[in-house]
Amino acid sequence: MKPLTVNFRDKAASTLKDKQIQQSLEHVYTGFFQGRLAAAGDTPDWNELRTKGKAIKDHTIAHLDYYLEQLTDNVEKNGGSVFFAEDAAEARKHIIDLAHKRNIKTVIKSKSMVSEEMGLAEAMNDEGFETIETDLGEYIIQLADETPYHLIAPAVHKSRKDVAKLLDDDFKEGDPVPDATELTMMARKKLRSVFERADMSVTGVNFAVAESGSIALVTNEGNGRMTTTVPRVHVAVMGMEKIVPSIQDLSTMLRILIRSATGQRISTYVTMINEARKSDEEEGPEEFHLVIMNNGRQKLLANPQMRESLNCLRCGACLNACPVYRKIGGHAYGWVYPGPIGSIISPVLTGLKDASNLPNASSLCGACHDACPVKINIPRMLLELRWRTAEGSTGKNERTSSYNERRIWGLWRLGMMGRRRFDFGARIASIVLRPLAKNGWLKKAPPPVSGWTSTRDFPLVASRSLKSRLHKRDRKAKP
Amino acid sequence: MTDNTTNPPRPDRVTLFASCMVDQIAPHIGERTVDVLEYLGIAVDFLDGQTCCGQPAFNSGFRSEAYPVAARFIELFEQVEGPIVVPSGSCAGMVRNHYAELFREDPTMVERASIVGERLFELTEFISRFFGNAAITGRLESSATYHKCCHLLREIGVNEAPVEMLSNIDGLNMTPLERADVCCGFGGAFSVKMPDISSAVLDEKLDNIEATGSSTVIAADTGCIFQMQGGLRRRGSAVQVVHIAEILAESLINTSETSSLN
Amino acid sequence: MTDRAKFIANVTNSLGRIDVLVPTAPDASTGTAGFDNPDAIKANADRALADAEKRASELTGLMAYSAASAGWNVHRAANPEDAAGLIANICERKNAQSVLRSTHDVLSQIGVDVAVTSTGATIGITEHSGENSSAKVDQSKATAFSADIGITGVDYAIAETGTVVLHPRSGLSRLVSLAPATHIAVLKPGDVLDSLDELFALERNDFLNGELSGSLNLISGPSKTADIEGTTVTGIHGPLEVHLIILE
Repeated sequence: MKPLTVNFRDKAASTLKDKQIQQSLEHVYTGFFQGRLAAAGDTPDWNELRTKGKAIKDHTIAHLDYYLEQLTDNVEKNGGSVFFAEDAAEARKHIIDLAHKRNIKTVIKSKSMVSEEMGLAEAMNDEGFETIETDLGEYIIQLADETPYHLIAPAVHKSRKDVAKLLDDDFKEGDPVPDATELTMMARKKLRSVFERADMSVTGVNFAVAESGSIALVTNEGNGRMTTTVPRVHVAVMGMEKIVPSIQDLSTMLRILIRSATGQRISTYVTMINEARKSDEEEGPEEFHLVIMNNGRQKLLANPQMRESLNCLRCGACLNACPVYRKIGGHAYGWVYPGPIGSIISPVLTGLKDASNLPNASSLCGACHDACPVKINIPRMLLELRWRTAEGSTGKNERTSSYNERRIWGLWRLGMMGRRRFDFGARIASIVLRPLAKNGWLKKAPPPVSGWTSTRDFPLVASRSLKSRLHKRDRKAKP
Repeated sequence: MTDNTTNPPRPDRVTLFASCMVDQIAPHIGERTVDVLEYLGIAVDFLDGQTCCGQPAFNSGFRSEAYPVAARFIELFEQVEGPIVVPSGSCAGMVRNHYAELFREDPTMVERASIVGERLFELTEFISRFFGNAAITGRLESSATYHKCCHLLREIGVNEAPVEMLSNIDGLNMTPLERADVCCGFGGAFSVKMPDISSAVLDEKLDNIEATGSSTVIAADTGCIFQMQGGLRRRGSAVQVVHIAEILAESLINTSETSSLN
Repeated sequence: MTDRAKFIANVTNSLGRIDVLVPTAPDASTGTAGFDNPDAIKANADRALADAEKRASELTGLMAYSAASAGWNVHRAANPEDAAGLIANICERKNAQSVLRSTHDVLSQIGVDVAVTSTGATIGITEHSGENSSAKVDQSKATAFSADIGITGVDYAIAETGTVVLHPRSGLSRLVSLAPATHIAVLKPGDVLDSLDELFALERNDFLNGELSGSLNLISGPSKTADIEGTTVTGIHGPLEVHLIILE
């Protein structure tokens, strides 16, 4: 997917004004966010599980090469094929070539953010393969020709009417809008025949288990089961970091993933695929292919400050907790991964210069860190990336700050390096601004803080500092 | 009186770190902080040379500018002994949680910062820890609601203690704030660089505040206070946003018991 | 260098190393169970089964509760005849024409075939034909997609989450519990494990013994989605209605 991170400000601004999307985004708080809190409250050792999950991921990423080798050996031992894709283009090409070689006509997809990085569905449709998303949210946005709005609820921004226009062939403007159940049944009917005729599937991977060469998929709809059962060729795509060492680790990881994502104790379906159709089975794919993709993740891995971001389970809890995401929605972030996690990985994976707004679009409130099932310290990494864009700490070509901004902070530093100048600067500001103030507040603040007063009053600098007042107080108190 | 066996030994002298915003924009908050501490029987020293902890530049990514300011802070405050109290969760968080990041290339500075950080407390944290949440029983007739500032909540870990403190004030009618732990949208430079997003987050906070029907919002960090008060004023609202130190101090003035704790 | 070797070498370099560093048995802080020795793994599995047997009636009670929370229609059958009667009722209510079932022992024990056919529906069994042709696969699929009701026993159940666990194999197709609009699962006392920990302990032990099935299905209620305006709707690609019959 082509990054549109450079459009951040405009897209955020237009989303803020869109009343219908603002209403839709409420569900993110009342549904997902509160769901996670309830589930966490219901789980007695919740914090210990998170600590354990973090330990499992830290360990796995610290030995990622070892576990990739183990995973590959075991998938191949079970009769599967593994393809290593350096980037999205390579992965896409491999899958398309495979589809050609196998005379594929219809491809069904289950949800995969990695496949969004590849723009796979669009590319395969362009190549002449009927390629259809089977997750309802993904299906809706495919029909709308849009990109996902949220990690686990891709169509969260769509109203029922929007969906009716896309799903209901008979719906006309002015008709009563069918309810969610009716619309869902329409989707079930439409996709049913697709399931019956599909000859290839592309799925994601929630967890790849190194010790057994298995993959685990978490769904509520059943499309994760359909896609791994009905076609003759099954391709699973994964980011190279989505590994856990052992089958036993799944109990911890599934608990923290699912409760953090939707607040459910478990998703309706958890499907573990150990190999393609076994000889004692009469259904199932003939072939299993695993595509392991890098696509820039090595940059996150190679930087000890950013490495922790690879622990991400793609649950969306940070999005749901983020007061900024809940106002600007998913498209503003301009690439596959929105919200707090997107703010730290998209810039590294697609280019910090164009995406420099992303790490700055945060009040550093820390709600994402609190929400993360594996305790990823997102604020720390937001600050790290801000350092890179402000001062070009890892390279001048990454610096996006303006000359003026750098001078302002230089002046700030000068002003803070001595008490007398600190007082002097404050008293000058107070004197200059006083005539413009009413009851101690300004309607129009001067640069560099003029952005403030577009929407809020700004406080006036005091005429006397605390130091001066305390001295006066002491003099009064002394006998 | 609070049961002393559950609290560590009470200090009788502390050094006040005002924070740059209290010092130069809202000094009355600093004075009320001193009032409260003196009521608790503590002598309060003020280091004349203090300016800022460096957080604004650090949060904006300008670490080369933040570094000398932060180093100066350490040099100044490591010269005093005993607790340092600051009426700001975000400044306390900066020193205790982020100085190690800022100084990470210099282990000596990290160590010096850690030593200072161990004796640095946010105001409500300090009161709660050494004196208990019932240490201040005053009187103040008002209707109020409490906003949970993000850094105090998530970096310092102070959650319900201030609410408990406020519940000990006679006549203070507290209404719980819906989504009290959701950010007000301040975030330092964010509030100026992305004013439309900052204000959208603020609007939700202000709607929730107005829904409580309270005349007062109580918070513990001046950045949040400016953000919320500035927004309320712009809406033409009469709701006042005050620092918890102001409420505690004012409640003491209203009682006959104006002598200090011991 | 092969693509694989290049890819892995890239990862190794990114970790700041020249060669792959094999992790050695770590302390507990790494969280993973990956270093448990085979004896410990077997012990975990044995303990899981012993627990399931010892606490059978308690775990069955917990399962009834959590399954209901997860959206199963939970029925308790005092005896095999009751169970058969419940199944017949469901068939009648759904106007079932064709029913498909697995070969779980419990199903023949309760006389499911007679119960179903007595309502006028036909019943097919997901036996493996012995052939492996794609024609047979297609036929299997078509049968499952046209069935109104799928009936299985359970391989395990999980009390923590209200989950029915199935290992597709000869006699238990993948689609019998997925394609029909209604799925009925019949559970016996002793089938219920305490939690996900026990299930994966058993799976892991199976893996060690080379006995892992080709795939594993954890089923916790009817298929559902909340993709439209955050409204939860029951019934999308999997069954719309699921029934758990607990045989006492």
